[in-house]
Amino acid sequence: MTAWVHPGMVIALGGLLIPFIPWRVVKQAYFLMLPLAGLALLVLTSSGMFGDVPAFPESFRPFSLPFLDYTLHPVRIHHLSLLFAYVYVIAAFCMNIYALGVKNDWEHTAAMIYVGSALGAVFAGDLLTLFFCLEIMSWAPFFLLLFRGTKKAMGAAIRYVLWHHFSGVCILAGILMHIHATGSLEFGPMPWGYEKTHLGSQLMLFGFLVNAATAPFHSWLADSYSEATPSGSVYMTAYTTKTAVFCLIIAFSGVKLLMWAGVASAVFSVFMAVLENDGRRLLSYHIVSQVGYMVCGVGIGTAMAVNGAAAHAFCHIIYKALLYMGVGCPLLVVGTSKFHELGGLYRYMPIAFWLTIIGGFSISAFPLFSGFISKTMTIEAAERIHEPIVYLMLEGASIGTFLHTGLKLPWNIWLQGRTEPPPEVRSRLNDSAVNTPVHMLAAMGILAFLCIFLGVYPKILYDMLPYPVEFVPFTLTRVFSITQMFIFTFLGFWVLRRLVKGYPGYVLDTDWLVRIPGGCLLRFCTGPLQRMGARLDRMGKRAADRIVHALRNPETEAALNPSLAGAGILAALILFVFFIARHL
Amino acid sequence: MHRLRVYPKRFFWRVYWAALAASLILDGVWLYSHAVHYHFEFQYFPEFFALFGFIGCMLLILIAKGMGLFIVKEEDYYEKRFEKGNPVK
Repeated sequence: MTAWVHPGMVIALGGLLIPFIPWRVVKQAYFLMLPLAGLALLVLTSSGMFGDVPAFPESFRPFSLPFLDYTLHPVRIHHLSLLFAYVYVIAAFCMNIYALGVKNDWEHTAAMIYVGSALGAVFAGDLLTLFFCLEIMSWAPFFLLLFRGTKKAMGAAIRYVLWHHFSGVCILAGILMHIHATGSLEFGPMPWGYEKTHLGSQLMLFGFLVNAATAPFHSWLADSYSEATPSGSVYMTAYTTKTAVFCLIIAFSGVKLLMWAGVASAVFSVFMAVLENDGRRLLSYHIVSQVGYMVCGVGIGTAMAVNGAAAHAFCHIIYKALLYMGVGCPLLVVGTSKFHELGGLYRYMPIAFWLTIIGGFSISAFPLFSGFISKTMTIEAAERIHEPIVYLMLEGASIGTFLHTGLKLPWNIWLQGRTEPPPEVRSRLNDSAVNTPVHMLAAMGILAFLCIFLGVYPKILYDMLPYPVEFVPFTLTRVFSITQMFIFTFLGFWVLRRLVKGYPGYVLDTDWLVRIPGGCLLRFCTGPLQRMGARLDRMGKRAADRIVHALRNPETEAALNPSLAGAGILAALILFVFFIARHL
Repeated sequence: MHRLRVYPKRFFWRVYWAALAASLILDGVWLYSHAVHYHFEFQYFPEFFALFGFIGCMLLILIAKGMGLFIVKEEDYYEKRFEKGNPVK
């Protein structure tokens, strides 16, 4: 039997070589070959070349490493990790095609390290390897943001890293507590409860929820994804949040708290998206919303719900990459993705419009598109456990998704009732119906094909899911109810379309609490509080000096004045109170 | 050189109104003939999904617009605040 080769390692280490390849064509070919090599390794793994992969939750571990008193399992392969790994490399291939025009080679390197570390995380068999990969994953997008080169992007990059280090520290603390309590490094289902004894698990869950951008800890996502380079943001949509969903499926399946957190996330971000003026920020809120469906599925925890969450993660990566690519087209060609500056682009970019519409229909779960075969599985799972509120909120969030991504976004960018774009945008366009670079359209074309293919032929995805699938997506009831709902959503949109038209503005989110009151607190600490501390320090030191001086000098000892004695007594009292307080 | 076209507006609206009318009629027919099977009682309400889609969409936009009165600020909201000598960058 041949030794297993880690596809993540191949992609990440291979990515490091990209800047050193001298010829551009060779470099581009090599860049495209990396995910294909990963895909080939995955196909060989599935075919059993390196060893049989048993049915989930059993797994295949090709090797282990001794580490202190523990044994590390850097690789654990089961059907769920294979499912995520497949979609990671397929999406990476399309994203690489999209990014072929990028001149900065280090951007490619950062992206490949990001993809590689995400693969490392889904194959991680122990908690330390997982943590290591998650940490790399929090640094790689930092560079994708930094390479945009704007001041805003730099700020977003620093905030991104801070958020992810915060979640990373929570996860690490949780891991250490878990190891201390159980003595096991195994990354499997974690013990769960609301008591103090489960603090380790609670911290880990919290860290994963921040990574999965679950409301109210979602604000880092819209903040950073909308500031990255056009192709960099496409990579960012796929990996961080979905890896967190993977971790939640493995460790916290069936925790009811997640069901409500997911539902809240799905609904809340849909409201925020109504107000958005920037295409990429609008789509960011829809990542939060769609990840909410997955988190909800994990929380429901039945085989159907977990299957639904995993299938939705698979479909989501594909259609969300497509949508980001669609918005990336005007961003790259005319330099903006803000609705109030766009409109009427249809004549100049019709292909990008239709491909984005396919993405919009997929995310909305329109029948025969990919979202329909995965999202409805989670909704059906909510129906089967008789949770009408969860059902209604998830369906309501679907209305919002269709309203924004299927209608508002394409309407604002490509139509807005105009046949010509605003003059300043028009001046940057050629008199051609293909203003978008062909490689970008090709990448979008492949993803759009996958969206429809999965929507029409879901069996191929269902066969890859961790549990056997007993779900039939195409029933008369479901197809009809969703179609009718969307037909009438369109009517509502058309009646109120003036209200969803883009206008300049910035929508404040929960990060306002961190950025403004938090900023004020920091300002207070570094300013007045620090000055007061220094002054107190000086006063104390001066008093102590005077006492010492007085006690050492026999002449002044006799003439101890009352104020000095008072200062001494006060100092002694403070020390005494401090001592008492400490020992109480 | 590719021809520049406008989007197929008339075709779209014809298909749309036809689909809307068909969905309204089919809902009644299928509900009456018990061809559809739902999980909850309220889903059996005539034209439930049409009302849910339409009212849900309107409510969503209107409530969000109400929220917008409080949370939509000028585009350089944070930049303005950081340039006033705030050390937090």
